[in-house]
Amino acid sequence: MPSSQAPPPGATALDPTALRPPIDDAAIERITPAELVARVMTLKASGYTMLLDIGGVDYLERAPRYDVVYHFLNLSGDGATVAAVGHPRRVRLLVGVPRDATDVPSLCDLYPNANWPEREIFDLFGIRFSGHPDLRRIQMPDDWEGYPLRKDYPLRGPASEMTPRPAFALKSNVAAGTPASGKTAAALQKQIAAARAGAATHGEPAAAAQSAATSPSAATAGTASAKELAERPINLKSDSNESK
Amino acid sequence: MSVVPDSLAMDVVEHTNNRMVLSMGPQHPSTHGVLQVITEIEGEVITKAEPEIGYLHTGIEKSAENLFWTQASTVIERMDYLSPLSNAMAYILAVEQLLGVANDIPERAQQVRVLLCELSRIASHCVWLGTGGIDLGAISTFFYSFDLRERILDLNEFAGGARMHPNYLRIGGLNGDLPTGFLDKLDVVIDMYAPRMREMRNLLQKNPIFQDRTIDVGILSAEESLAWGITGPTLRASGVAYDVRKAFPYSGYENYEFDIPTRTEGDAYARFLVRLDEMDESMRIIRQIRKSLVGGPVMVPDTKFAAPPKETIALSMEALIHHFKIVSESFRVPPGDVYQPVEGPRGELGYYLVSNGDNRPWRVRTRPASMYNLQVLKKIAVGELIADMVVMIGSLDPVFGEVDR
Repeated sequence: MPSSQAPPPGATALDPTALRPPIDDAAIERITPAELVARVMTLKASGYTMLLDIGGVDYLERAPRYDVVYHFLNLSGDGATVAAVGHPRRVRLLVGVPRDATDVPSLCDLYPNANWPEREIFDLFGIRFSGHPDLRRIQMPDDWEGYPLRKDYPLRGPASEMTPRPAFALKSNVAAGTPASGKTAAALQKQIAAARAGAATHGEPAAAAQSAATSPSAATAGTASAKELAERPINLKSDSNESK
Repeated sequence: MSVVPDSLAMDVVEHTNNRMVLSMGPQHPSTHGVLQVITEIEGEVITKAEPEIGYLHTGIEKSAENLFWTQASTVIERMDYLSPLSNAMAYILAVEQLLGVANDIPERAQQVRVLLCELSRIASHCVWLGTGGIDLGAISTFFYSFDLRERILDLNEFAGGARMHPNYLRIGGLNGDLPTGFLDKLDVVIDMYAPRMREMRNLLQKNPIFQDRTIDVGILSAEESLAWGITGPTLRASGVAYDVRKAFPYSGYENYEFDIPTRTEGDAYARFLVRLDEMDESMRIIRQIRKSLVGGPVMVPDTKFAAPPKETIALSMEALIHHFKIVSESFRVPPGDVYQPVEGPRGELGYYLVSNGDNRPWRVRTRPASMYNLQVLKKIAVGELIADMVVMIGSLDPVFGEVDR
C-alpha cells in the first residue's frame, strides 16, 4: 500500500550520518582506519579516559560500506564527587570501512575493554581488527558461517538453519516476502488446484473419470474428478483431513 | 562462545602439579544466567579466568532492525529483563531525539516514566540482593527482597498489563494514563519499603559471615574502572561519582533532589553498600514524584506518530484513519544518528540509533552496561580464591539478556 505520509527529505538516505538533525549528543568526527590510532592516542592524552562503546553499522550500498563507531567519554579530574564530574564531554569517531578491505587497527592496547566489542563486531559484521589478541567469535558458535548483522544476511538465518517445511508448503512454491494480495492468493489456489488435478489423473485416470461420470457423490469418498477438485474451495488448514 | 579456548586447552595437557582448568557453567546456579567461566586454578587460587558469553544470544538487535520503530521497543525490553523499563526508556528517548520532539513530551508522561524506571531499579536490585545472598548461603534475604519485588511488579501489571515487560512507555509519551487507584497501590509500596529495607539490611549489612566473604574481594581501583569502561554502581563503589542522571539529565531528573552514593573501597562489599544506598535514593525520587505528580496529557498531541485516544476512534473518521495508518505502516523517522544513554540499574545503558528515513530503524546498537562490567571479571578474579568467584560475579550483577542480546 503506498503511503499517504510524504517521506521526509532524504528518505532512505545512503549516509544518514550526513543528514542528522541538530542533536547535541557528542562531538562527531569522521576518520579513516589509518588515522584511528593516532587520533585515539591524542584523545586519551586529552582526558578521554573511558571508551564507552564500539558499535558497527552496515550501510550496504554506501562507499565505504561499514562504519565502526567509537564513543569516548571525558571524565575530568578524578571524578570523586558529582560536582567534579559535572557535565562530561563525549566524542564519537565514525571510522568508514570499505567493503573489500575490512581491516581496522585494534584499540586493545590503549583501552582493555575494547576486547569484547571488537570481537563482537568481528563476529556479527566480519570486520577484522588487526592486532587484536584473541579475535574469536563471541556471540555466535565458533563454526558459524556468515555475519548475521550484515544487511545482506537473511533475517531467518541461512537456509541450513531453517525449520524444515511440510511438504505442501514446499509445493506451493511461494517466494518469501510475496505480498498477500488477492491476486497472488488466487494464483496460489490455481497452482495448487492444477497440482492436484495432475496428481489425480496421474494415478488412475480412467477410474477417476468413470466415477465422476456415474455418481457425483462418490467424489467425496476420495476419487474426485480433476474438475471437482479444481473447483473445491481450498482450505489449507482442513486440507489434510479432507483428502483422506 | 566456545567450550574451551585453544590457549587453555593446551594447559589441560601440560598441567603441572597443582594447576588445573575448571570450567564453571554455563549451567551453574551461581552464574546468574548462562555464563561460562573457564578458570585456571592453583590449589584454590585463581591464576587465570576467561568468561565465555553468547549462550543467550537471541539476535535482538537484528530483530529490532526489522520491526517498526514502535514495535522494536517490545523486543528491546527483553534485553535487560530485570529492568525492562530502563531499556525502553533509553530507546524511546533516542527515537524522540531523532523525531525532534524530545522537548515536547508532556510533564506528566516524563514524571511517570521516571517513577516507573526508579521502581524497576529497586525491583532489579531486589533480584541482585536476593540472589547475591543465596550465593553466600543467606537464603532468608531472598524471600524478603522478592516479596518487595513482586509488589513492584504488581504495579507494572496494573499500569501496563504485564508484570515484567509492560511495554508501557511509547514514543511520544505513554501507552495510556495511569489507571485509577494506581497511586493508592503505590502508597502501599512506599509505606512498606522503609521497614522492609531495614530488615534486609539487618540480615546482611553487619552480618560477620557476609562481611568476611565480601570485604576485600574483587577490588577495582578508580583508574582500572575507567580503563575497563565500568559504569553504574560498580564504578561508584570505586570512588567515581559518574551517574548519567546527574551528568546528562534526561526526562526531568534535574528537578528531583537525590544524592549519588559512592564508596572508595572498590570491593564487593562496597558495591553491596552502594546498591543498597541507591535503592534508598530511588525511593526518595519516587516520594518526590508522588507528591508533585501533575495532571494533563501523557502523549504528545502530534497525530503523525501518536495514536489517537481510543475513545475518539469510535467518534471520528480521521482518528480511525490515523490509528489505522500508525498501526499498519507506522511512521517515518528523519534520517540521522543519535546516542542516548540512561542510567540503568547496571550502569550507562545507551542506544546508538541510525535512521535512514524509513519506518524501521536501520541500526539499533545497545551499549550493554553488563557486558562491560562482566568483562572485567578476568582482571579482578586473578589472585582470588575460587570460592569467591560467585561473590565477584554477583557483585558485578550481570544480566545475560543484555550481555548476549
